[in-house]
Amino acid sequence: MAVNVEGTVVRKERRIPTKGEVFVKVGELVEPDTVLARGTVRNPEVHEIRVYSKLGVDPEQVKRYMLKEEGDEVKRDEVIAIYRAFFGRLTRTCRSPIDGHLETLLKSGAALIRGMPIPVEARAHIPGIVVELIPGEGAVVETRAALINGVFGVGGETIGELIIAVGEPDEALTAEAITNAHKGKVVVGGSLVTLDALRKAANVGLSGVLIGGVDQKDLTDFLGHEIGVGVTGREEAGPTVIVTEGFGVYPMDGVTFNLLKSHEGKRASIDGTTQIRQRMLRPEIIIPL
Amino acid sequence: MSSEKLNKSYLIVDIDNHQTKAVLIERANGSYRLMGASEAPTTADPPDLDATIGVESAARDLGRKLGRQLWAEGGPSGAHRFLCSSSSGGLYMAVAGVIRTMSAESAERAALGAGALLMDVFSKDDPRPDYKVVDRMRSLRPDMLLLAGGTDGGAVEQVLEMAGLIDAADVRPRFGAGYKLPVVYAGNVEIRDDVSKTLGEDRYATREVENVRPVLEVENLGPTREGIYDSYMEHVIIHSPGYDRLAKWVDGRIIPTQAAIGKLIYAYAMERGLNLLAVDVGGATTDVYSVYNGVFNRSLNADIGMTYGISNVMREAGVQNIMRWIPGGMGEREARNIIGNIMALQPAELTSEETVVQRAAAREAMRLGLEQHRNIATRLKGIQIKRTIADIFQQLVEASIIDLMKTQSIIGRGRIFADDQDHSATTLMMIDAIQTEGVTEILVDRSSVMPHLGMLLDVDKEAALSILSEECLHRLGTCVAPKGMARKGETVMTLRMNVAGGATSEEILTFGELKALPLGPGEHAKIEVTPARRFDVGAGRGKRLEAEVQGGEFGIILDARGRPLVIPEVKGTLEEWTASLTPLAAPAPAA
Repeated sequence: MAVNVEGTVVRKERRIPTKGEVFVKVGELVEPDTVLARGTVRNPEVHEIRVYSKLGVDPEQVKRYMLKEEGDEVKRDEVIAIYRAFFGRLTRTCRSPIDGHLETLLKSGAALIRGMPIPVEARAHIPGIVVELIPGEGAVVETRAALINGVFGVGGETIGELIIAVGEPDEALTAEAITNAHKGKVVVGGSLVTLDALRKAANVGLSGVLIGGVDQKDLTDFLGHEIGVGVTGREEAGPTVIVTEGFGVYPMDGVTFNLLKSHEGKRASIDGTTQIRQRMLRPEIIIPL
Repeated sequence: MSSEKLNKSYLIVDIDNHQTKAVLIERANGSYRLMGASEAPTTADPPDLDATIGVESAARDLGRKLGRQLWAEGGPSGAHRFLCSSSSGGLYMAVAGVIRTMSAESAERAALGAGALLMDVFSKDDPRPDYKVVDRMRSLRPDMLLLAGGTDGGAVEQVLEMAGLIDAADVRPRFGAGYKLPVVYAGNVEIRDDVSKTLGEDRYATREVENVRPVLEVENLGPTREGIYDSYMEHVIIHSPGYDRLAKWVDGRIIPTQAAIGKLIYAYAMERGLNLLAVDVGGATTDVYSVYNGVFNRSLNADIGMTYGISNVMREAGVQNIMRWIPGGMGEREARNIIGNIMALQPAELTSEETVVQRAAAREAMRLGLEQHRNIATRLKGIQIKRTIADIFQQLVEASIIDLMKTQSIIGRGRIFADDQDHSATTLMMIDAIQTEGVTEILVDRSSVMPHLGMLLDVDKEAALSILSEECLHRLGTCVAPKGMARKGETVMTLRMNVAGGATSEEILTFGELKALPLGPGEHAKIEVTPARRFDVGAGRGKRLEAEVQGGEFGIILDARGRPLVIPEVKGTLEEWTASLTPLAAPAPAA
């Protein structure tokens, strides 16, 4: 079921989800971990502080006691508002619970403090040449590679040396076949990966597991939740797992297996992200030639 | 009817995510007929990015089949043209109101009734703090927003506060960052100007319609639905690739596919004077439509479906609820793998094992759909209801208006009800999933032209309803199912059937039995059902009911398995039930 191409030109658009700075130029050679662009996105963490309550004043009076204005940066425990009476003998303060900035001062006398922007970056993921820039967001990287699309995956982008851990495509990948030497590697199995093997792969620290089939129940138990809709890529249970044939015992397609075997020892860039419905995004294995 | 109208031809196209289907309807030999249908892949998404390509392809192909020219230089020709669409996932909406169970709930019903996929519901009594509401609104990117709240002359401040939140959120539309987001305002009519001012003209294209809840006791959904259709045509669909040209080609508004289906179901129920429930089980979503005492409702279970959504059915229903519908021999692991593969591989043809699992999931998808629908189709909240002591003890004043005992007809729609499926299995699937009570006719849509007929409705209601009855809906039978429980072997009902112009027969059914009496699709019969003391078939416990019924492929289905339906833990029960239904056309076994 996997779709594979022995030698093709792979173009990957790499961009950050915001406007930021791009660090590469067209024609530049990049490695998988080269940072192409960097920026920051809004922090979803927001704290609402009832300033009026902390100061013991009416909500409409809060503004006059504020030490910070909307948009100002604040530090954790920094005083953002202060109330003094009786020549300083009575002092009440309101402090920021987090590092961030004062986003809004509400009419209700409350202040919204949002966490510091979160840095985001786009790395090349594949070695290649920059063929196009996306101003402020990233670049398009091109390389000649073997490309294999699986049918379902979990886990996001990762890179690792390809290791063939089974003799034949109809051989199951068991826990015994995984050793500490496989740490950081992308391990190829045959017809099935067992639950024990998945757990050992996570414990050892494998980058990825490429397999013909997996029992849906084992994958569910491994992830700790039902899969639900076919939108994946953010799982953090362990290695990225790419299934090339389907759920159950499925020997890996011979062509796919031999293609992977012929590239054993090379670094593969893999991504388990799957979106079945609209965009029909399937997990992919890219082996630069 | 004028002779000009008699000669009309209608080319009607429905564009969904994958297929663009064109049909031609004409009057021939004194009645309207579906002349033909043709499909082409939808081309609204990349790489084509032009919906007209798919429409042209389907129309040209239909013309070739019929030996007619339905496409001339630059557009369709030779017929009146109508179009509905659910491409790009359909119409995504968010609604907002003042009170969740009042104005926001009415707005929710209006949006769903207009065929929308509801992304979120906001209200002033929302448990989420304002900043989270604003954050959520900002992240949604809907196609349209519906704002309601306040009776006419009622709440002002809270409606304006909600408008203020929408303004603060700067909600952007799903497609086209430069376009204004359409907002339909269906709240207190006395503050329309203030709401428009709060929202601002630069970011929102506000349309004012009549109040969806002008007084607490009245819900007025029609004008809001019309407002949604107008905004959909003017501000949403027009931005999809190719639709600007399609809009010029058609003779009316382009409306969402689900709205066209809903309009047709409503018209059908009203024409026949029925309480009706229709379940549309798609690949990714399950829609439920109902008409009870003239009130129309639609609900939608997103991501609950038979291909892409099948794995989510398992997550929502629980694997054990699916397993209970799978005959013995198949284990949980195998069923889970089949579900995973139907979702991930979406095979064009299913094996017998895959079909069994999909039907089990379909029962649960319909059950979940009905459960959700009960929460949408409710009586109006916020108004006083006079209760008697008896009501309190018997809980007679139910919130939901769905009453299966008073449902005369159920309709199944979707690929799982298609003609090439095992009809006895699909019949049983509908009875089991919905758990019909009393006397209920069971129909399925076999032609998949309900959206097209819904579009035809506004210009020729007679044609639309006549084709629906004669060419679209297939009668599986009429189910007689008394409500109640008993022990196996105890009598549940006695049924006497008098076939029009034929014989009289009598059946006595004991608890657990399922049986079909022959009565063809065009045949009518009078039945007299006398339920046992603890059972109700529509007239009250133990009370006799007389009814006139129509037959179907499986005739009159007598279901004495009790309600709620419990599957006995006896091996072979499910197979036995399916075998109880034998189609009338089936050849007699060889002697």
